[in-house]
Amino acid sequence: MSVQAVLALFAAGVVGAVARWLISRLFAGRRFPVAVLVVNIAGSAIGGAVLGFAMSYQISHSVRLVLLTGLCGGLTTFSTFSVDTVQLVLDGRTRTAVISALSNLALGIGVAWLAFAIVWAFAPPIYLLL
Amino acid sequence: MRDLLAVIVGALVGTGLRFGLDTLIPHGDDEFPVSTLLINIVGSFALGFVVARVWPTASAWLKAGLGPGLIGTFTTFSAVAVSIVALSHEDLLWLAVIYLVLSVALGFLAAFAGIRLGARPGRDVEKVTE
Repeated sequence: MSVQAVLALFAAGVVGAVARWLISRLFAGRRFPVAVLVVNIAGSAIGGAVLGFAMSYQISHSVRLVLLTGLCGGLTTFSTFSVDTVQLVLDGRTRTAVISALSNLALGIGVAWLAFAIVWAFAPPIYLLL
Repeated sequence: MRDLLAVIVGALVGTGLRFGLDTLIPHGDDEFPVSTLLINIVGSFALGFVVARVWPTASAWLKAGLGPGLIGTFTTFSAVAVSIVALSHEDLLWLAVIYLVLSVALGFLAAFAGIRLGARPGRDVEKVTE
């Protein structure tokens, strides 16, 4: 991996993190943890598409790292998701906790799979074309 | 402005730590993502702990740097979603299910342990999103 690619990875991580921070400020004070859900869905969708492009050899390993490890890794977060959910349960708001946890998991994995499937369908791997 | 700088510095460290662990414990698309699982467990515990212990007395920039910056960027949701899609695509659905269950169960448990160990008796724990 080149020095430029590592620098791009760090820059992408910062861009993702700042975007997540701005979105969390936008939704601050909501009773339902909307901001985490938004960034986790958006990042998982981008991640699924990038996986599709990488697995069909449309992008290099470095581009995959910059976008997946850098951008999507910075944009999405697991720690706020888990701490938010536990705090909701500790506050006696179990229903909100369950809805939040399930929507993050179902929608996050769902959009990742959908984005991957779309890219995979329209960008078949080279060996399938030969 | 100071908050933004703190988020950027935290994001650089968080990205570096996650990228470092991914490089140290690499995993292919058809392998169990040990590094991501460790990252999300450690990050969930750390965020729970600092929210309970540090938040009540911390300044805004320190919270921004530690929460959305360092720990938020260190942990990742997209990598979980992407690995689940990748493992399923490689016909390793059982491994994807085990990975998902372990990520959620151990992540939530770690967040709970962090909050409990970080909380000082007689003080309410602040919300992570506030």
